[in-house]
Amino acid sequence: MRKLYRNTAIVTAVFVLALASMLGVSYYQMQHVSPLESEVMETLKALNESNDENQKLQQQIRQLDLLSRKAYFVQEGQLKTGIYLLVGMVTVLVACLALYYKDTKNLPEKELDPIDEWMTKSHARKYLSWAAGAAALVGIAVFIFQSVGTKALTAQSDDVEDKSEMPQEGTEAVQDSLQEIALAQADSLKAASKREQSGNFSSYAEQKQARPKVKADSTIIVKIDSAKVVETDTAVVAEELPELKIASKAFRGNNSSGTSSARGIATSWNLKSKKNILWQSTVPKHGYNSPVITGHNVFITGADEQARELYCFDVWTGELKWTVKADGISGSPSSMPKVNDDTGLAASTVATNGSEVAAIFATGDVICANMDGKRLWAKNIGLPDNHYGYASSLLMFGNILIIQYQNNSDARILALNTKNGNQIWSKATKDKIAWSSPIIAKLGGKSTLVVMGNPAIAAYNPGDGAELWRVDCMSGEVGSSPASADGLVFGASEYATCIAIDGATGETLWEASDYLPECSSLAATKDFVFCATSYGMVCAYDAKTGEVKKEHDLTTPFYSSPVVVDGKVYLFSNSGKVYIFKSSTFDLITSFETGEKTFATPAFTDGMMIVRTDESLYCVKREK
Amino acid sequence: MRKRGFIILIGVLSSLAVWAEARFPKPDFTSGYQYPVILHGAPNEMFWNVVDIVMLIGMMSLVVWGAYRKRSRAVIYSLSVVSVLYFGFFRSGCVCSVGSIQNVVLSLVSPDYHLPWYVLLVFLLPILFALLFGRVFCAGVCPLGALQELVNIRNFRLARSVSVALSVIPWIYLAFTILYAATRSQFLICRLDPFVGIFRLGGDMGMITFGIGLLLMSVFIGRPFCRFLCPYGALLSVFSSLSWKKLEITPRGCINCALCGMSCPVDAIRSPQSSRTGEERRKGVNRIILFAALLPLLTMAGAFLVGGQSDALSLAHKDVYLYELLLQQQARPDMEVPLEVETFNALGGNIEELKARVDEVRLDYRFYTRLAGALIGFIIGFKLLKLSLKRSRKTYEVSSAHCTMCGRCFSYCPQNINIKKHEKTIS
Repeated sequence: MRKLYRNTAIVTAVFVLALASMLGVSYYQMQHVSPLESEVMETLKALNESNDENQKLQQQIRQLDLLSRKAYFVQEGQLKTGIYLLVGMVTVLVACLALYYKDTKNLPEKELDPIDEWMTKSHARKYLSWAAGAAALVGIAVFIFQSVGTKALTAQSDDVEDKSEMPQEGTEAVQDSLQEIALAQADSLKAASKREQSGNFSSYAEQKQARPKVKADSTIIVKIDSAKVVETDTAVVAEELPELKIASKAFRGNNSSGTSSARGIATSWNLKSKKNILWQSTVPKHGYNSPVITGHNVFITGADEQARELYCFDVWTGELKWTVKADGISGSPSSMPKVNDDTGLAASTVATNGSEVAAIFATGDVICANMDGKRLWAKNIGLPDNHYGYASSLLMFGNILIIQYQNNSDARILALNTKNGNQIWSKATKDKIAWSSPIIAKLGGKSTLVVMGNPAIAAYNPGDGAELWRVDCMSGEVGSSPASADGLVFGASEYATCIAIDGATGETLWEASDYLPECSSLAATKDFVFCATSYGMVCAYDAKTGEVKKEHDLTTPFYSSPVVVDGKVYLFSNSGKVYIFKSSTFDLITSFETGEKTFATPAFTDGMMIVRTDESLYCVKREK
Repeated sequence: MRKRGFIILIGVLSSLAVWAEARFPKPDFTSGYQYPVILHGAPNEMFWNVVDIVMLIGMMSLVVWGAYRKRSRAVIYSLSVVSVLYFGFFRSGCVCSVGSIQNVVLSLVSPDYHLPWYVLLVFLLPILFALLFGRVFCAGVCPLGALQELVNIRNFRLARSVSVALSVIPWIYLAFTILYAATRSQFLICRLDPFVGIFRLGGDMGMITFGIGLLLMSVFIGRPFCRFLCPYGALLSVFSSLSWKKLEITPRGCINCALCGMSCPVDAIRSPQSSRTGEERRKGVNRIILFAALLPLLTMAGAFLVGGQSDALSLAHKDVYLYELLLQQQARPDMEVPLEVETFNALGGNIEELKARVDEVRLDYRFYTRLAGALIGFIIGFKLLKLSLKRSRKTYEVSSAHCTMCGRCFSYCPQNINIKKHEKTIS
């Protein structure tokens, strides 16, 4: 009989171990499964948002939702049954062991401990000392590691504050969110009366508190057409509108990074039905430049044979607040340079630092205004010898205005003081003509100016223009701009290459040539480099290896650049079709036509997106 | 008899079916459907609280009677069955004395927290009994210990030096329990209770699996949870070592047969020992002086090291965790928005208010992490000091601090067997 108990106990023990292992794996899987957030479900929901009339689709979503829930609960039920079974088998095991050892005295066969208790104590002392010492060492290591990390972070933050005050000496700039806060704080102290700000946190509560005063229980929906405020069902007090905390201070966002901290951006809208459209305004003069946002203001430029103008629109209403003309500038050409229709006279996007906003035109005219529309200074930096037309966008680093002025006869990088237009530094480069725009990247812990031209991608100290490294890798007509993430710099241009460079050393990490952009710029995360081509292919390169991780043949050209925002990648085709991808997988979430040709890259702020089309400027905001 | 009780327990275990409440998001209604407000009737708990206290006192008294008067394991074993059934399965393992530490700590630091009287009694009564008679609560009243006791079949003893070193862990657990309770972060013991899921036949599957693992271990190792994890056991061991009455295995003189020591599953019986060792006296004295001098240093070092981790540890607080998630989301806009951040935004959370709360919490953490670290450092120093002391014993003795009064040794002692034989003969 004892043999039976023993054998049963052995079999049960094996069973218990196997079952426990399986349950462990199943439990782990359950912990990482969220059936309602599956890729298919998200895609279908996004599709539904763009077309909420499709009842068949809604029916599908409901069925899939039900199935997902059922599958989840079935698995949970199995896990629960497994646990009960395990408890039962453990009980059987214990019972068998109890019966097997029945009538057996509980005496060990031999004494494990040394007979000498003092030796036992000595060993225990030793083990305890070792364990305590090891724990202390780990604790010290963690403490030192954390201290070093905190000091580095504090140093960066201090640098940013210093540079925002005295950029002419500076080397650091606003690159990440922390720096954005610091600069925003410094700016707000300097120009408290001005309606400008850029910050980090987008607090919905703050916005709510500052929202326009409305009648009780009414909903705020403001729809604007052609720069006119139309109140739908509530009275809006425009002057009480809240400051926006997320800025987009240059082409493709702050620092021209191609990313934004904005949240809650709508994934569907309709310009005809005005669904999720806060306002739509016409723009006085044409231009291919992209919108820039700070505080309440949206800036763009427009130009024709008659005039070159900087416009400021109200971000909440779309109302044209003021216009600053680039006229009466010494050295400005009397007749407009010959430019390509695809480029125009106002292809360069403006840049702002929250206090000043600067614009450049194909004539070489640079103007700078404050937030109230007062022109602070203007100068001509020389007529660009450019067969398509000057197109590089501006960038501000604190109070330094950076101009990538690379033309046929003159290639240099200029740094002007935003307060008075005086030159801070000028760096002549050996590059040929390019239409690319500069970016500020965080490399090796420092904010670095990265410029992509022909033939080099080069890094500079934005404070004094000193060259840090230079990689000759480009050729042809470089119109795309670089991107940076996780300490790496990425650049790509059609007929050249797509390259990843170690930002700290300038060492080339990988090159690829699967898909290359013509005008559209790259956007990067730590995992992917997103690329949109002018022949309709879009892809995500692996940021570490350069391998194409995902590609989509969308059969429509792209000049606009992708922007990573709120876990998604927003991309406009030239025809005005919007594509929204999941940034973690580059899976297409949704796509739809807007009906207006779009070449500019949208700008993002708290819950809003400003899009410039060939015909108008509009604001997308999710309706509550 | 014991086996019969055990089989009854198995039957009860397998027949109980308690369904756990599933936590899962509600369907996404967009039709404007309003969820009805769920109303919970006020539980009539007072009666059962009184019963709990009466049961607690009654069972501890019975353990004292069984251990001190009858020297009978049968009494203690039966009480273990009752404890598992009543405190464990019927009362779902809550409120237990182990977890009551957290309520008491919270009431001490938070004036707005009202400590219920029965929770206070659940915390104090076992301590009171420990001061009088030793760890009678652990014997057969604590459902966690009782469950391990019931499945303990065959003991394979760990080397004593290892078990002594491992006995520091409950103190570390206690220090962190105090830290998290005092900072209103979480009730760590409730969260990591390995047996409550078994008692309720539902809950976190990971913890249930851990509990089953501990039970399997308990089959061959005496009470692993009580010895190497239980923070309340650590507290009771202190009070128990100061107890008024000390347990004796036999009223007759010890004959040094060593059977009791070998039968003890928790290594609580100390063998006869001479204080004379091979080591030079001077060396021993120097060591004692060294460890005595190290005691305050270790206390301070513990405070420094754990205090240095206060920011990292404060992530256990929901506000700090949420704030860090918000920061991460801002720094990495391409990452998917975590559910917590989404909820915070949807509810109109104010980041400034959150930051103010986080600053307060971190301030608390700075103080309590130092306190926790000091406690851990002190315990390690004290253990080292204690391990440097020599004591002589002429017979086998029960260590009050470690004895969980399971009563195994009574039936092994030949002297007790002789007494029983004698009583039988007389009757």
